[in-house]
Amino acid sequence: MSESTHLGSQLVNLCSVLLLLSCFAVVAQRRLSACVDLFALQSFFLATTAALVAFLTGHRHIYLAAALTVVVKVIVLPRILRKVIERLNVSRELVMNINIPAGLLICGGLVVVAFFITQPIIPLGYLLTRDSLAIALAIILIGFFTMIARKKAVTQMVGFLVMENGVFLGTTAAAYGMPLIVELGVFFDVLVAGLIAGIYTHRLQDAFDSVDTSELTALKE
Amino acid sequence: MTTLLTVLLACYLLGGVLPLCTSRPSLQTILAHSGAAAAGVAGIALGLLGLFAAQPLTLSVPSNIPSLTFALRLDPLAAFFVLTISLVGLAASIYAYGYVREFTGRVSVGLLGSLLNGFLLSMTLVVLADNGFFFLILWEAMSLLSYVLVVTDHERPGVREAGLFYLIMTHVGTAFIILTFVIFSQEAGSFSFDDFRHPDQRLPEGLRSIAFFTALIGFGAKAGIVPLHVWLPYAHPAAPSHISALMSGVMIKTAVYALIRVYFDFLEGVFPWWWGFTVLSVGALSALLGVMYALMEHDLKSLLAFHSVENIGIILLGIGAGMIFHTYGLHELAALGLLAGLYHTINHATFKALLFLGAGAVQFATHTRDIEEYGGLLRRMPWTGLFFLIGAVSIAALPPTNGFVSEWLVFQSLFLSVQLPTLFLKLMLPIAAAILALTGALALACFAKAFGMSFLAQPRSAHARQAVEVPLSMRIGMGLLAGSCVVLGLAPMLIVPLLDRVTGPLTGVAISEKVLALDGWVVAPVTVEFSSISTPVLAALLVGGGLVGLLIARWLGKGLPVRYSRTWGCGLPLTPRMEYTATGFVQPIKQVFETIYQPTVKLEREFLEQSKYFIRHQRFEFHIEPIFETYMYRPVVTKLLAVAERLRVIQVGSLHLYLTYIFVTLVLLLLWAG
Amino acid sequence: MYAMVQLVLIVVQFVMLLALAPFIVGVIRKVKARLQCRRGAGLLQPYADLAKLFRKQPVRSSTTSWIFTAAPYIVFASTVAAGLLMPVFLSHTPLNFAGNIIALVYLLALGTFFLILAGLDAGSAFGGMGSSREAIVATLAEPAMMLSILAIALTAGSTNLSTIVHQSALLEGVVLAPPAHLMALAAMFIVTLAETGRVPVDNPATHLELTMIHEAMLLEYSGRYLALMEWAAGIKLLVFLTLIVNVFAPWGIATSVAPLALVTGTAVYVVKVAGLAVVIGVIESMFAKLRLFRVPELLGAAFILALLALVFFYTLRG
Repeated sequence: MSESTHLGSQLVNLCSVLLLLSCFAVVAQRRLSACVDLFALQSFFLATTAALVAFLTGHRHIYLAAALTVVVKVIVLPRILRKVIERLNVSRELVMNINIPAGLLICGGLVVVAFFITQPIIPLGYLLTRDSLAIALAIILIGFFTMIARKKAVTQMVGFLVMENGVFLGTTAAAYGMPLIVELGVFFDVLVAGLIAGIYTHRLQDAFDSVDTSELTALKE
Repeated sequence: MTTLLTVLLACYLLGGVLPLCTSRPSLQTILAHSGAAAAGVAGIALGLLGLFAAQPLTLSVPSNIPSLTFALRLDPLAAFFVLTISLVGLAASIYAYGYVREFTGRVSVGLLGSLLNGFLLSMTLVVLADNGFFFLILWEAMSLLSYVLVVTDHERPGVREAGLFYLIMTHVGTAFIILTFVIFSQEAGSFSFDDFRHPDQRLPEGLRSIAFFTALIGFGAKAGIVPLHVWLPYAHPAAPSHISALMSGVMIKTAVYALIRVYFDFLEGVFPWWWGFTVLSVGALSALLGVMYALMEHDLKSLLAFHSVENIGIILLGIGAGMIFHTYGLHELAALGLLAGLYHTINHATFKALLFLGAGAVQFATHTRDIEEYGGLLRRMPWTGLFFLIGAVSIAALPPTNGFVSEWLVFQSLFLSVQLPTLFLKLMLPIAAAILALTGALALACFAKAFGMSFLAQPRSAHARQAVEVPLSMRIGMGLLAGSCVVLGLAPMLIVPLLDRVTGPLTGVAISEKVLALDGWVVAPVTVEFSSISTPVLAALLVGGGLVGLLIARWLGKGLPVRYSRTWGCGLPLTPRMEYTATGFVQPIKQVFETIYQPTVKLEREFLEQSKYFIRHQRFEFHIEPIFETYMYRPVVTKLLAVAERLRVIQVGSLHLYLTYIFVTLVLLLLWAG
Repeated sequence: MYAMVQLVLIVVQFVMLLALAPFIVGVIRKVKARLQCRRGAGLLQPYADLAKLFRKQPVRSSTTSWIFTAAPYIVFASTVAAGLLMPVFLSHTPLNFAGNIIALVYLLALGTFFLILAGLDAGSAFGGMGSSREAIVATLAEPAMMLSILAIALTAGSTNLSTIVHQSALLEGVVLAPPAHLMALAAMFIVTLAETGRVPVDNPATHLELTMIHEAMLLEYSGRYLALMEWAAGIKLLVFLTLIVNVFAPWGIATSVAPLALVTGTAVYVVKVAGLAVVIGVIESMFAKLRLFRVPELLGAAFILALLALVFFYTLRG
């Protein structure tokens, strides 16, 4: 392994690890606005990782994906979510399905699981990014877990977006990004999903006077 | 050695029989406990000799019953356990001279003493037995004698139920042990342990795994591993305290002995990695849950009993790590893990017995076991307090005591997982180490509570106010064990070579040279660069640091005399009711770990009629949910009762019908046999 | 000759720990004061405080036992003993053989144990409250600390502090596994804040019964006993800071007993520790104290960080 690849892969690893850590920060955070900020931060790390990979491999189209990430996930989506939070007048999530220390422990377990699942395929990946695959899987799992553990629609939305970040990191790591057209489609999807979720949260607030999605069980009656 | 063994047996037998020949309680006490004490001394000598003997001592008396021979074999492993049992036995019997006075009039002191001898004898013989049948007979004798001792105080509420629970669990365990031995005898062709060791051909893989599990369940039930521990916190505290000390200190160790015997001797230490991993996981679970439940316990003896579950867990962590290393051919590390487990075995025997004797002394002086009713005992019972403190510091594994040395060794064997080849185990052993760290910290909190609430501040009840120091014999018994704790902690250079004699034959390598560096002043795991400790130096540093502190205080303070005054109580006169209670002390821990405890809190308040800000009367209750009992045992018991209800159809109470059953069975049996 | 040098080194390390501890406390207080736009007391004030306390006549509660008077000496001794086991200005500390990092942790635990007992002994509600809280904080900090230490120990292939420090000092700035290193450092830093009773876990500057932990246990102490306890708390803080700077960034520490190396090693060490003290002062000014039942979340996060450090150590090796 040449010195520059080694340094490069260490940098990529470091960035992926920061991505993962911001996931944990989301899990440990009660304040909704802080969750959104953390998501923005995570997306920023994601863009940095993508740009690093683009620089080190010379795949130009990843630069575009990185730029899109910055626009959509660091600027637009957090702004939408912050608006939603402002309107809703809820700032904290006090009751959760799983308390924070237990949630952190479970997420720690998920990371270990992710590393075990990817163990056999890691040596097959590209040298530069192969460790990031395990981290991507871990991020997806943690995002999913956040959606289960939290009750407020906004944090569930953040969980979903975190998952999406995980998928993006995974594709970058495993295949140095998807074809450009697919990536554009995905960004469009995410943006639309964010808008819909924002509207849906408003409707939830109107209907139940709360953004607690567990209230939805009342629809059954 | 044969002479010593004879002396030991004779002393126990005399101690068992003589007290029944006289009717004067004082003479009975002296006869019984002198017998047991003399046998204890002989046992210590025998254990030491057995450890250093070149060849194991074997004795065998054939019998008329097929497959049963009364065979004894004193190899280093057995000798080590004989030593442990005898040491604790000696201290307990000296203690009992004074302690049994508590029982005079209520129960026959002679019978109690006689049973004590029988119990000690059966334990000693269990570890010496060299024949499966003989072992089972002795194992049963040990279980039954301990059952009878548990129900000594059968008029107290709860004692009989505790005894019954114990009896059922231990017999379920015995059933599994029988199964294990039957599996071994299939290939060996007999019940002799010698044939178990060298069978004609190796057992098939599947059967070996079944034998592994049956042994783990069978002996685990006696050792009190989670989730088979449920009987232990009821049965151990119910017995008189010197018996509790023996049960918690050494009886559960016979199960550890048997597990090592089965895994390393009969199965020749050949096993897949997941055996060791299972033992390790069970150990980690037992250690953590044991200490967690201990924290919530406010009956001093139940608290100690739960700590036995914890410490068995720590022992199994060492043994489990040893087994894993053994699988991968890392023999020196395997020996280290096993050595750590065995070191903790003898350490736990001494400090747990010491703590139980201390709890007994406190109970002797206050006639209650509730920690909330103690307080201020250190000023009333200085010796008991000091000994209890030594025990508490040891069990909390604080340097430079013995608990620290063995827990440190367990940590090292877990940390050396770096040398294992698989990522899974490389990650799991450090996690086990983290659990052990949590366990250690919780144990520290628990004994800070146990000692602080019992011995410090002001007495919380009239019982505690009137307490006086216990008789000399009880103090000598405790002092003996406290001294052993200190020696075991400060002189690993004496203990490690002894343990090496045990682990050497089992793992095939001798490691004492490597474990002891610098003429024994330093203990290091197999690789010296990895880590080292030296408890004598640590002790010297502590003493030195304290002296420097004292000198500075003297030099700057110019020996100003201390002025005495009352504790500040916000202007109110200080009463014991202002003290933190044991319940209050552990409240934060209860709240943080509520997922495990599942506490239910009940608060009833009655207010003054004039205003709801003044409370006239309030009542606080909290319970924690014993999850294993509620979710594992209760359903089984309910099912069993339902089945029994069905079976009542054939139970009608008619003698003739019963005779018919027997007759039909007999005829059918004859037909089948013919 | 060799033994003499070693003995001198032990004594120097001992004196240095005792002498530097109040200074570090002074630095933190000064930083906090400046950030609050106060001038604050001089850096040497803690020395004057200690000297004053030693000279005062101690008052002892009449309900206490010998534990109460013995505890300050035991706490002092255990903290100092822990300090002697670790490298301070020289990577090969003479007493290294007497105990590794686990021994150090357990020596500090010995101090905690007697501190808790001392809190209970006076029989007031405050002492019990402090003891009870100290017990839970110490309990939760322990596993995180153990794992973060292990993650670092693995890098050096040893749990002996001198070996760890010496090896990483020789690497001169190169870190073998940066993610693992960083996360272990973060975990260790959180543990340090918890174990030494700093904001956001405990507030050393308050005497409000709702919030205090460490001070509540010392409430009945006065005179020389209080002085020893305060001094020991300062040394404990110094021990943790030293661990962090020497284990995670040992560059500049003396790796041989050459006089020049020793002098620069000492100077670099003092600067690094003082720098870390400034960081702690800033953190104390930035954050509010957490509610007691939020502390598990913080320490849980530290535990997870340490666990991840371990996972990454094995999996992300470039």
